[in-house]
Amino acid sequence: MNLRKLLLSGALAALPALAHHSFTMFDMTKKVTLVGSITSFEWTNPHSYIEIDVPDAQGATKHWSIEMGSPSILLQSGWKFNSLRKGDKTTLIINPLRSGNAGGFLFLATLPDGRMLTNGPAQPQQ
Amino acid sequence: MVLRNRNSNMGILPRLAVAFAACFMAVAAQTPDLSGVWSPYRGGRGADPKLAAPMPTPLVLKPEYVKPYEERRKAEAESNSRGEQLASKAVQCIPYGMPTMMSVAIYPVEFIQTPKQVTIISEAFSEVRRVYMGVPQAAIGDVAPGYYGRSVGKWDGDTLVVDTVGIKPSVNGYRGMPHSDQMRITERIRLVAPDYLHDEITITDPTILEKPVTYTNAYKRMPNYEMVEFVCDNNREYVDEKGVVRLQVHDK
Repeated sequence: MNLRKLLLSGALAALPALAHHSFTMFDMTKKVTLVGSITSFEWTNPHSYIEIDVPDAQGATKHWSIEMGSPSILLQSGWKFNSLRKGDKTTLIINPLRSGNAGGFLFLATLPDGRMLTNGPAQPQQ
Repeated sequence: MVLRNRNSNMGILPRLAVAFAACFMAVAAQTPDLSGVWSPYRGGRGADPKLAAPMPTPLVLKPEYVKPYEERRKAEAESNSRGEQLASKAVQCIPYGMPTMMSVAIYPVEFIQTPKQVTIISEAFSEVRRVYMGVPQAAIGDVAPGYYGRSVGKWDGDTLVVDTVGIKPSVNGYRGMPHSDQMRITERIRLVAPDYLHDEITITDPTILEKPVTYTNAYKRMPNYEMVEFVCDNNREYVDEKGVVRLQVHDK
């Protein structure tokens, strides 16, 4: 499914669900695109995380921590515990932290095989 | 006198056993089987209004509890508007308890129904509650206060009626309402369609509430779904000195 189809499907129209906190610390009005190399993919609760090294044009590398939904939520939008592996080249679109720290909340991931996965099903979705 | 059918060598005891089994099966057939995994079914676009939850009744607190409740809600709203969520127990991975655990975001709940016990498991935080069937409820003062209290159940026709007492006052209440150790939760759980379940929850609390409040959680069956474990072993959120939730990011 490409981004256009995803948008048309409405899957990204609403926020995914969190078990234990709101989205307040993230700026949901902003999007940042990260192109980099996965250093770890943590399939954990209460959230899963993508750790990613992102090189800039000058050759320096900046590390980002990206929060996702829980495994329970992610399973409902096609993720698996091994969807990403260390060293995978990946593109992530994120909502950045308001604090300015190098972290954010996943909006959309493009996996090495080209699949595009969201951060859990929209809410409500029946 | 022992009756014996000349055409059968089956004695009276086996016949009685068969009759009892038939009666049991007939009663069992009248009792719905709620076993299975259920996903919260929200109203709104695309939802069938007949299957979605009806509107809740108003939450009416006794006058002395109104001001602190509204002040807390206002503080939360103001903090959220600044992008600073105030800490809650859930942020620290403390389970929700009753009655909140019955509907958390889109997390499923599983019912395991046996004649003597209905066990309900929420996927979020792997919370478990046990409903003991056909036994009397204890006095509130005899139940150790906890997150799930003590629940007893009985069938009222096609409806499972569950009575719960013994919820610790510090456990998060419905819509953040305060509650006392006198809170009682009554649930009426029934299938409104073959694959749709309603749990009508009525909360009474003579100390806090002016009158009982009733709301309903609606669910849709998730066939063949296997529940996922939820153990909070990677909680990167923390609460700063202002009581605001922050995310710990890694350097590498």
